[in-house]
Amino acid sequence: MTDTGTAPEPSASRRRFRMPEETGVIIALVLMILIIGIARPRFLNPINLLTILSHTTFQGMLAVGMVYLLAIREIDLSVGWIFNFSAVFTGLLMVAGVDPWIAAFGGVAFGALLGLFNGILSVGLRLPAIIVTLGTYSMFQGLSLVVNNGRAVVPPDQDTSYFNAVAAKIFGIVPVAALVFVVLAIVMHFVLHRTKFGYRVQAVGSNPEAAELAGISNATIKLQTLVLMGAICGLSGAMYIGFRGAIDPNEGSDFVLVVVAAVIIGGTPLSGGYGTVIGAVVGMMIIQVISSGLIFFGIDATWSTFVTGAVIVLAVSLDQLIKFQRARRANRVKLEQDSATEP
Amino acid sequence: MPGDILIEVRELTKRYGGVVALADMNLTVERGTVHAVVGENGAGKSTLMKILAGAVHPDSGTIKVGGETVAFDSPNDARKRGIGIVYQELSLFPERSVLANLYVNREPAAFGIVSTRKMEAESRDILDRLGLHVEVDAPVGRLSIGERQLVELARVLLEEPQLIILDEPNSALNERETQRLFAVLRQLSARGHTMLYVSHRLEEVFAISDRVTITRNGRDVLTRDRADLTIPEVIEGMIGAQQDALFPPPLPAVAGRAEERIVIKGLSGGPLKDVDLTARSGEVVGLAGLEGSGVSALLAILFGTQKARAGKVTFPDDRGLPRSPTDAARRGVCLVPADRRRNGLMLEKSILFNISQVFVGAQTGGSWLYRNGPAFARAQRQIDNLKIKARSPWTLANQLSGGNQQKIVIGKWLEVGPKVFLLDDPTRGVDVGAKREIYGLIRKMSSDGGIVLFSSTELPELVGLCDRIVVFYQGRIAGELSGVDDHTLLHVINTGEMPAAAERSEATP
Repeated sequence: MTDTGTAPEPSASRRRFRMPEETGVIIALVLMILIIGIARPRFLNPINLLTILSHTTFQGMLAVGMVYLLAIREIDLSVGWIFNFSAVFTGLLMVAGVDPWIAAFGGVAFGALLGLFNGILSVGLRLPAIIVTLGTYSMFQGLSLVVNNGRAVVPPDQDTSYFNAVAAKIFGIVPVAALVFVVLAIVMHFVLHRTKFGYRVQAVGSNPEAAELAGISNATIKLQTLVLMGAICGLSGAMYIGFRGAIDPNEGSDFVLVVVAAVIIGGTPLSGGYGTVIGAVVGMMIIQVISSGLIFFGIDATWSTFVTGAVIVLAVSLDQLIKFQRARRANRVKLEQDSATEP
Repeated sequence: MPGDILIEVRELTKRYGGVVALADMNLTVERGTVHAVVGENGAGKSTLMKILAGAVHPDSGTIKVGGETVAFDSPNDARKRGIGIVYQELSLFPERSVLANLYVNREPAAFGIVSTRKMEAESRDILDRLGLHVEVDAPVGRLSIGERQLVELARVLLEEPQLIILDEPNSALNERETQRLFAVLRQLSARGHTMLYVSHRLEEVFAISDRVTITRNGRDVLTRDRADLTIPEVIEGMIGAQQDALFPPPLPAVAGRAEERIVIKGLSGGPLKDVDLTARSGEVVGLAGLEGSGVSALLAILFGTQKARAGKVTFPDDRGLPRSPTDAARRGVCLVPADRRRNGLMLEKSILFNISQVFVGAQTGGSWLYRNGPAFARAQRQIDNLKIKARSPWTLANQLSGGNQQKIVIGKWLEVGPKVFLLDDPTRGVDVGAKREIYGLIRKMSSDGGIVLFSSTELPELVGLCDRIVVFYQGRIAGELSGVDDHTLLHVINTGEMPAAAERSEATP
C-alpha cells in the first residue's frame, strides 16, 4: 500500500527496511530446489516445478485459512473433512443436475456453513476450536460417508465449461487451479495485514484480554475466522472435484496435519498474534518439494512422511533460535536506550 | 540480643529497563526485632524484599546475612539462609489442598510416596498457633482471602526461617482478619522471630514494629526506633518535599464544553449493593476501597464486562449500561485497566499497532482497510501529545518503561475521544515523573469535559488529585469525602465509618 496522504512525511511512515519475515523459508525453498536440481537437472524443468505447485493447490488453500486460525491461537482439525464434505456436496448437486458453476458456489457456501457450525459451537460453549473440531472432524466425515454411500462421487457431463475452466492450463502450462490458489494467497495476505478484519485477528491473537477490553469482540473474530476457514475449505473442495472429476470418500483424511505443518514451517507461531500467508504457501511447497525430490532421488516415497516431520522439527528449532537471538538484541537495544535517556 | 545484626544491606541498586527501582538502598535488621519498611508505591520496598528473598538479582550492592556476604541465585538459596517471604500477591495453588500448598516442592515422603499423615502431624501445631481451623484437605480456592494469607504464612513458618519477610500481608484482608494476623505476628515476635514488615499503612506499622526504615525513590531516607517517630514525620519522609508539585492544579474548563453526567441509581451487582452516584463532566471523582469492596466491580459494570443485578444507570448519551466492552468503546466509554501488561497492551506489537486498538478494533464505519499511513499518524500524534519516549512508532510495547506503556494505553483511547474515563489505578508501577504527567493528563481529560472516575490504591493520589472521593465499604458507599487528609481517608476505607468532621465537609459543595 502506498498511503502517504496523512503521514507527516511520506518516508517517515516507512519502517526502517527490514528483511520480510518470510525471507528464511523462501531461501530454504530455493536452496532445496537448487540442490535437488544440481543432482537431478530434470527436476528444474518448469513443467515439473509447476506440477509441484499444482499438487500443493488444494491443501495449500487450507493452509491459507489455517494461518488465520493460528493467528488467533486456535486450530481447526476438521478442515480435511469440510473439504471432503463440500466436494461431495458439490458433486451430488452436479449429479442432481444443478449447473456445475452454481453447484461450485453451493459447495463454497456449504463449507462456510460447516465453518459456522464449528464457530457457533466453539463460541457458544466457550470451548477452544481444537476441542470442538475434534468432534466435528468425525461428524463431517461420518455425514459425508452417509451421503456418498462410501463410494466416490463422479459428476456427469464433465465436458462443460466449469470442468474445462478449472482443469485448464493457461498457455498450456500454468494450471488455473494453481493460479486461483496463488491469487487467494495474495488476497488473504493483504487481508491479514491491511484490513480492519486482519488487524483484529492479529490483535485478538496477541492478547485476547486486552483486545476484548479495547472493544474487539473475541467471539465475533473467532466466529468470522472459522466461517472463513470453512468457506476456503469449500472453495478447495469445489475446485478439487472440477479438477479431478471425482471425489474419493477418503480424500482429505490426512490433510490437517500437512496443513498445520505447512503453516508452522512457514513461520506462523502457535502462540498467535501474527501470521504469514506467504510463509504458509512456501511451507506447503517445501513439503511438496521434499516428497517429489525423494522420488527424483529414487528414494522410496514412504520416506517422505519421515522427512516432512524432520523438516518441521528443524523449522521450529531454527525459528526458536532466531527468536531467542532477536529477544537478546531487543533487550540490548532497550538497555542502550535507557542509558541514553538518563539525565 | 539487641545489637546482633541479622541482615545488612549496603548500597543496593536495581533497574528495570528505564525504571530505577532501587538507587542506593541500605538496611540493617537486628535479630529479634520487628523491622518495618515503609514508603509509597514505587519507593522500592517490594524490590528490596524480592532481592532479599532471592527472587530478583540486584545490579550492584552487598547483602550480609549474619555477617557473611551472600549472593542469592534463586529463592532456594535465600531459603537455605533462613529467609522466608510472605508475598504481597498470594502465590498459592488454588486447586490444590491446604496441605499440598504448605509443602510445595518439599513434600515429606515415606518410601518415595508423599505422606499426608506426616504433613498433617507436622503442620498441626503451626496451624493451631495461627488460629487457622480449616479442613487441610480442602482446596485452597475455597478459603477466604484472609485464611489463604494465613496458609501462606504457615507455609513460610514451617521452614523455620531466621527472618520472615511480610510484604503488605494484609492488603487484601478485612479489619477482623488483619487483627488476627497481627495477634499472630505479635506472638511470633515474642518468641524471638525476626520480621521485616513492609507496608504503606502507617497505623499498622506503628502498631506492630520496633524499628522503622522510610524509603523514597529507591533510597532509604531514615531509620529510627518507632518510639522516636510520629506519623506526620513518617509521612513527610515518605512523600518528601515534592508533594505540591506532584499534583497539578485543576485546569480552567474549556469554554463551550458540554455539561454531561452519569447517573447511577440503586446499582447492584457483584459485591455492589444499592449504589447511588452521580458524576459530572469537569470533575475527577475518586473511588476508594479495599479489595473486594466494589470499586473494581463498579468499573467493570460501567464498562460492560460484568452484568448488573439491579439498578439504573444513565450515560451521557441517555442510554443505559453498555452491553459489552465493544458497545462501551463505541459509545465513548473508556477503561484504563489496572493490569496494563495483561489487559491493556499487545506487548509483542509495536506502539503503532497498540495505539490503533480502539480506533481500528472497536469502531464501526469508515474504511474497511487498516493502513499504515493513518495508523502511523495516529501513533505519532499520541507520542507527541503524551510525550511517549520511544525511538519510533515501530518500537515494540514491551521495550518501553511502565510509564510509557501506560501512556500508550491512555493514548489508544484518546484517539477516539471518549466522554467517560474509567481509570483503574492508572499509576500502578509507574515512576514518579510519569505519574506527574499522568495526573496532568487526568486533569486535562476532565477540563475538556470528560467524566473521570479514578480508582487508586494510593491514598495521597486520591487526596491530591480528586475533587471528591467516594469510599466503598463492603459493596456500599460508606461516604463521600473532599479536602481530607490521608489519615481520615484510610480510616473510612478500613472501617466504613465516616468521621464527624468529614460528614461536615461532605455537605460543602
